[in-house]
Amino acid sequence: MSERESAAVQDWARSIEGDLEKNNAHKISIRINGARHEFESGREIQPMDTLAFLLKERLGLTGLKVACDEGACGACTVIMDGQAILSCMTLAVEVDGHDILTIEGLENDDPVVRSFAEQCEPGYGTAMQCGFCTPGFVMAAKAVLDENPNPTTAEIKEALSGNLCRCGCYAAIVRAVQAAATRMNAGRVEK
Amino acid sequence: MKEFKQRTNYRYVGTYRPRVDGWEKAGGSAEFFDDIALKNRFPGLLHARVLRSPYANARIRSVGTSEAEKLPGVHAVLTYRDPEITALKPTNFAWTPFFSISYKRMLWPTYKDRRILSDRVCWVGDEAGVVVVAETAAIAEDALKMLDVDWEVLPFVLDPLEALDPNAPVIHPEVNPDGNKIPTSPYSESDVFINRGDAGKALSEAEIAIEARSLYHNAEHGCLGTRGCLMTWEKDQLTCWTSHYQADQTRMHITQMLGLRMDKVRVINPYIGGSFGRGNVGEQGYFIFTALLAMRTGRPILYKHTRREDFHDTRTAVSYTCRMGATGEGKITACHFQSLGDSGAYVDHSMAAVDFVPREFAEATLAHIPNLRMETVSAYTNKIPGGCMRGIGNNQINLVFGIALDVLAEKLGKDAVELSIQNFGHEWGEVPDKSLEAVLQEGARRIGWKDRTQPGAGPVYDGAKKRGIGFSLHNGWHAAWQELPRGHIQVSVRINPDGTVILDAPTAETGPGSNSCGVFACAEALSFLGVGPDDITWLSKTDTQRGLKDQVQTDSGVAYVHAEMMPRLAEKVKEQVLALAAPQFEVDPDELVVEDGRISVKGNPGKEMTVEDLFWEGDLVPIAATVSETLPEEVTGTPFCATFVEVEVDTETGAVQVLKSVVIHDPGTVMYASGAEAQQVGGQAMAIGETLTEEIVYDKATGIPLNFNWIDYKLPTMLEMPEVEPVLQEVWKGAGEYGACGIGESVTTCAPAAISNAIYNAVGVRVSETPFKPERVLAALNGRSQGELNREPK
Repeated sequence: MSERESAAVQDWARSIEGDLEKNNAHKISIRINGARHEFESGREIQPMDTLAFLLKERLGLTGLKVACDEGACGACTVIMDGQAILSCMTLAVEVDGHDILTIEGLENDDPVVRSFAEQCEPGYGTAMQCGFCTPGFVMAAKAVLDENPNPTTAEIKEALSGNLCRCGCYAAIVRAVQAAATRMNAGRVEK
Repeated sequence: MKEFKQRTNYRYVGTYRPRVDGWEKAGGSAEFFDDIALKNRFPGLLHARVLRSPYANARIRSVGTSEAEKLPGVHAVLTYRDPEITALKPTNFAWTPFFSISYKRMLWPTYKDRRILSDRVCWVGDEAGVVVVAETAAIAEDALKMLDVDWEVLPFVLDPLEALDPNAPVIHPEVNPDGNKIPTSPYSESDVFINRGDAGKALSEAEIAIEARSLYHNAEHGCLGTRGCLMTWEKDQLTCWTSHYQADQTRMHITQMLGLRMDKVRVINPYIGGSFGRGNVGEQGYFIFTALLAMRTGRPILYKHTRREDFHDTRTAVSYTCRMGATGEGKITACHFQSLGDSGAYVDHSMAAVDFVPREFAEATLAHIPNLRMETVSAYTNKIPGGCMRGIGNNQINLVFGIALDVLAEKLGKDAVELSIQNFGHEWGEVPDKSLEAVLQEGARRIGWKDRTQPGAGPVYDGAKKRGIGFSLHNGWHAAWQELPRGHIQVSVRINPDGTVILDAPTAETGPGSNSCGVFACAEALSFLGVGPDDITWLSKTDTQRGLKDQVQTDSGVAYVHAEMMPRLAEKVKEQVLALAAPQFEVDPDELVVEDGRISVKGNPGKEMTVEDLFWEGDLVPIAATVSETLPEEVTGTPFCATFVEVEVDTETGAVQVLKSVVIHDPGTVMYASGAEAQQVGGQAMAIGETLTEEIVYDKATGIPLNFNWIDYKLPTMLEMPEVEPVLQEVWKGAGEYGACGIGESVTTCAPAAISNAIYNAVGVRVSETPFKPERVLAALNGRSQGELNREPK
């Protein structure tokens, strides 16, 4: 395990400890798409509720998809504190005090969304067919690009290899992420 | 990448453009079944969970439900003994492939081997005779565990050859008492379903004769959206939302099985998370019991598969032997195909895999082989049922065909590409076939076919890796004449006074982009109004209450069947526009022309009026037009497709990696270039997965499938994908305005054989049992048996 990974594991362990302590207070506070939400633990949130369940079934944020419910496909990806996470593998109570971004929280003209939507370059096809995996890919791609504005093809593939697309639009998805990087970098220059 | 060039320059059809639903899908606002079937949308929603068989073959002697019924939160328990269930007719789950058909006329009437919510179960995971409805899915699951089920556990059989043994346990004694051999297809006179000339004699007299064998396993669709339905029963009206994709035919099943009126059953399809043919089987069971529970409880009932449960039907497993005979000059004189189908626990569409599709292959690819014999035997086994998956039996027969062709070419000392062009073509055309020639020559050029080395003779990379090239070819299918059973194709438009268009071309959008094809063809046809794709709204939900019959997303034909109606629709619109305009110009309508949204008198362009102005001058009633017509009947044969691959085989580990795929299709007319290429590229993810890594593994002692999840059933990710080059060529043309042929299914067909041939070219040994996993490749390299192949029936 690299130093960075081992530090990440320790952070995670500390955060769980912190979460457990806070849970005793029976108030769970989560910032979702910029707005603070409070839930009463045990009443509004059950200990076994996943974040995916809370977001989708309670709050009606239906952009995320639950396709495997066991961390194998990435369709439920949302962003927590800037990192892509699997909302089906995250308990709602663990997210207390954290900042969650779902696809509904993206700007109307988000460059990643635009790049996926408009991808049609000859030789690659479109970046989605059925579209069930797409919000998960968009969120995973956004997290990658926020951290690394100029990823190589290999880095994109590595970062998105936890997301499954059975329609197989992988080549076009890579192109869409590259197009999004170009758009985001151009946006940064303008600003 | 080389851009595809159109044969006819259309404005919108066949171009590279974004999908019409791209923004919705990328932004997460496209509504799927899972986004609708939620408690916050349906207060009072209850969850239905069905008991699943823990045994490969068993019968419920009795079931005690009282403890389960007492569990707080449980609302109803429906069992096989209840009158609603005992009153149901026996059925099969494969009534129809793509058209509307009633119970009485169901496609496979010979095989009524299913009972809904039966006390008999035939595979581990089979729906067994009890459904529980509760406040939450977890409570329903708990209640299922509290059932007191007395199982009569029966002996089982997993292997199709063993299943045919006279001493094997009989899986369906009620309908098939004589054993596990599945009765001959109702569409064939005998198990020898093609017998042209005398293949046996021709083979024995052939200068060169070869034999190849293959085994194709049960791949699973792996759609990201799982199956389910949500039903409400209000004021004698049953409404069903579903991730199944045949709204009209689902309504047919429900009404015919439950004796309900068609106007009282409404089925709605939102966007669907993939299908790949899965919905053609195994569906009615849950529709029927969910409907019965909605009627019994008066509450919205949600039934939805977990990921494990969605391993529900598969590509039918088939093993083949193929013998080919030829003259020394390479004229193929005889082919003999023998197959052993493994239909799993129920027949469903399995007989189409071993009988119907090979028959189609015979007429569309092998039509000019003078002596042809095709025969099949299929068996029930206590495993997950087979069925349709991106085609029905196409991949399976192509695997043995592609390998046999490669073996024959080598033995003849001929080039396999040239041998193919010399021999194959469809019944309604000559050999050489222009489409096949174009497809193979372009593919060969792009992969570097001429530069390939002799088998096993290439250089070694990284110490132990060797590379090879292979290909296979297949006829396309689903030209308009093959889609005639769809009957009338219905589309309508409503043109608003501001010139915007609402297009009702009903079909559930499962991914292939037929909605985009429909919109582009509509814009093409209405371009005289100055309308473009952005002016058109496609109604995304199919709804049996709306008016028009939906086109079922099978056969990849919806890319053009709606489009074929658009010019006829446009004509009706034009007639109305000119009739409205005539008084303004004080001339007869036939003296007017309308082009790019402007109306003028023929030969007098001076005075003109925009369509928009015309509309605003009038009564502001939208122009409406509907077409309900059949596709052209002319039999035009079919075009061809092929896949060429380069693979790298690690001779130390046995691992196979596809380095490059060239996927070539002649679709007649390309309806949407970006969409077609997405299918070609994307199809390789599925094809490479089922050829190299995907496999359902059973515990042979119990019949329990061990890997019904996506950790252990290995679907390809981005990292496994090779460079894929999609190639579109318009050579053949069918009947009608566009004369297109579906490609969505055939994008996976040729890859398995191409990969097998490429492995042979790399390392000089044949691997012909899918998946080509490292242990099989190593076994082949070491001269050992690969597994199930090369066994003879007892």
